[in-house]
Amino acid sequence: MTTIMKRGMKLRTIAANTFGMFLRDKLLIIIGALFICVILMMMTPLLTLKARTAASNIQGMESYVLQLVAAIMSMVSGAGSLLAAWAAAAAVATELKSGTILAVMARPVKRWEFLLGKYLGVMMLMALYVAMTFGLSFILAWMGGQRIQSAPWVLIAYPMVRYAIYAAIAMAVATVAHPVLTWAFTLLLGVVAGLVVPGDSEPGKLALRWLKTGLYYLLPSTSFLSEDRFLSIKDSALRQTGWVEHLTTLAYGVDYALVMLLLAMWLFHYRSLKRD
Amino acid sequence: MTAAAIEFERVTKTYRKRLGGQEIPALTEVSFSVAPGRVCAFLGPNGAGKTTSISILMGFLYADWGKIRVLGCDPGDVKAKRRIGFVPENFSFYKHLNAEKLMRFHARLAEVAEEATSGLIRDLLAKVRLSGYEKLKIGRYSRGMVQRLGIAQSLIGDPELLVLDEPTSGLDPSGRKEVRDLLLALKNAGKTIFLSSHLLSEVEQLSDEAVIIDRGRVVRAGAMKDLLETGNQVEVVATEINEELATVLRELGAKVERSSQGVRIIVGSERKRELVERLWLQGSDVVRLNPVKGTLEDLYMKLVGKNDAA
Repeated sequence: MTTIMKRGMKLRTIAANTFGMFLRDKLLIIIGALFICVILMMMTPLLTLKARTAASNIQGMESYVLQLVAAIMSMVSGAGSLLAAWAAAAAVATELKSGTILAVMARPVKRWEFLLGKYLGVMMLMALYVAMTFGLSFILAWMGGQRIQSAPWVLIAYPMVRYAIYAAIAMAVATVAHPVLTWAFTLLLGVVAGLVVPGDSEPGKLALRWLKTGLYYLLPSTSFLSEDRFLSIKDSALRQTGWVEHLTTLAYGVDYALVMLLLAMWLFHYRSLKRD
Repeated sequence: MTAAAIEFERVTKTYRKRLGGQEIPALTEVSFSVAPGRVCAFLGPNGAGKTTSISILMGFLYADWGKIRVLGCDPGDVKAKRRIGFVPENFSFYKHLNAEKLMRFHARLAEVAEEATSGLIRDLLAKVRLSGYEKLKIGRYSRGMVQRLGIAQSLIGDPELLVLDEPTSGLDPSGRKEVRDLLLALKNAGKTIFLSSHLLSEVEQLSDEAVIIDRGRVVRAGAMKDLLETGNQVEVVATEINEELATVLRELGAKVERSSQGVRIIVGSERKRELVERLWLQGSDVVRLNPVKGTLEDLYMKLVGKNDAA
């Protein structure tokens, strides 16, 4: 076996084990079940919309269905970001807290390999979540008697990249902070990132403008990576985005996630693997 | 000259509480070495620095100062870790796995060829008496079974150095004996074993050398036989003696104990000739004459007993 194959096997083993831990996490199962109940409740109005659609009100119905689908999808999408942050923080913290990391790190595994394996495990969980979200968006549109016209890959690639950013930020913070603090910090960071727009402060308040501009460039621009931008049930409304713009936006997201992941690896390399 | 399997040279480690809190010295200039193929007991009271030393040795913690070499490499080096088996104190496990899956998980990380894994897992689980429990979730194991599983996983990859932090904690007497027998077999197979334990009598039977640490400093280190040698006393076992002679011997400073096998007399080695002559004159036979050997427990209590009790 070559070195690359050995490394690949170790990463796969750690990632699959992490994914298996999530699938059997009781807290995650309970929260997931509650979340599905909420979604089902929100879907109820869609059941009646299909029957009420007629030739005279088709435009209004399209608009209403889209609004409802967008609302549900935006909630699902927000929950996905929270899940990514929580999963990444928990993936590292539970290993350190339980001490399972010691037997693993006694094996010929480098610290960065361990962290990358955990990250890939989180991304496996998020891929499952995105697949479920993807199916949900089509079910919602079908229930409302409409069809989603957005390109399927957009509804998969964009949320995956966004979750990759949140997971990497949370993993970097979790290497030095408590998981709950990590989760709260990542949540706050996401909210602030969505709020800051450079140059919109009152004239004269130079410091505030600089702060907003600084934060705008420093924090991840996750609003650009929102699949909601492309969610459409009408051909005419489907935003025409060129490949260059898609690639630039996704490359920005992947780059941000990669930088955060490298930061996480660097911090993890120097930390103690035992609770002091 | 063969390079040491483990080498600590003036290793120092201080725990620093965050946000300007106090500093707690864990290790102060700790130096010792373990030769290949030897079993070394690492002893000391709770909080003495044993687990910190082992954590540094395994690369889980970084020392502030000093030189550490493990199998000729730096701690945490993948090349060294390929040749090390490790049982942490209170072995933790993934509760969602069963024994077989956990062993397979470790075998993959240890770079064991996939085709050899099933046979290896079967053999190792049989070695620690866990055959028949392969499919049982580890969350349902008793503490002793978990500890035995921990030992089994440490043997994956046929390591030449075993680092064991309290390997018999949580085991019942028969479980402890089985682990001791297993360690003896590994010792006979030429493995180097670095063993931390509080069970002094077991460690004494097993170990070639010992390092005793207290409050982060090495208080005694060396070959077990040298450590247990009391130096200037001999033990004479004789057949029955009369009370008159016993009184005379006591006046000479000897310690006289009667038992079913005869009389055990401990005396300074400078008086051994005089003692034997008196016994012969009185008509008593000398059954045995040996230098007095202390126990590890005596030595341990003498060195760190007060602190341990505290």
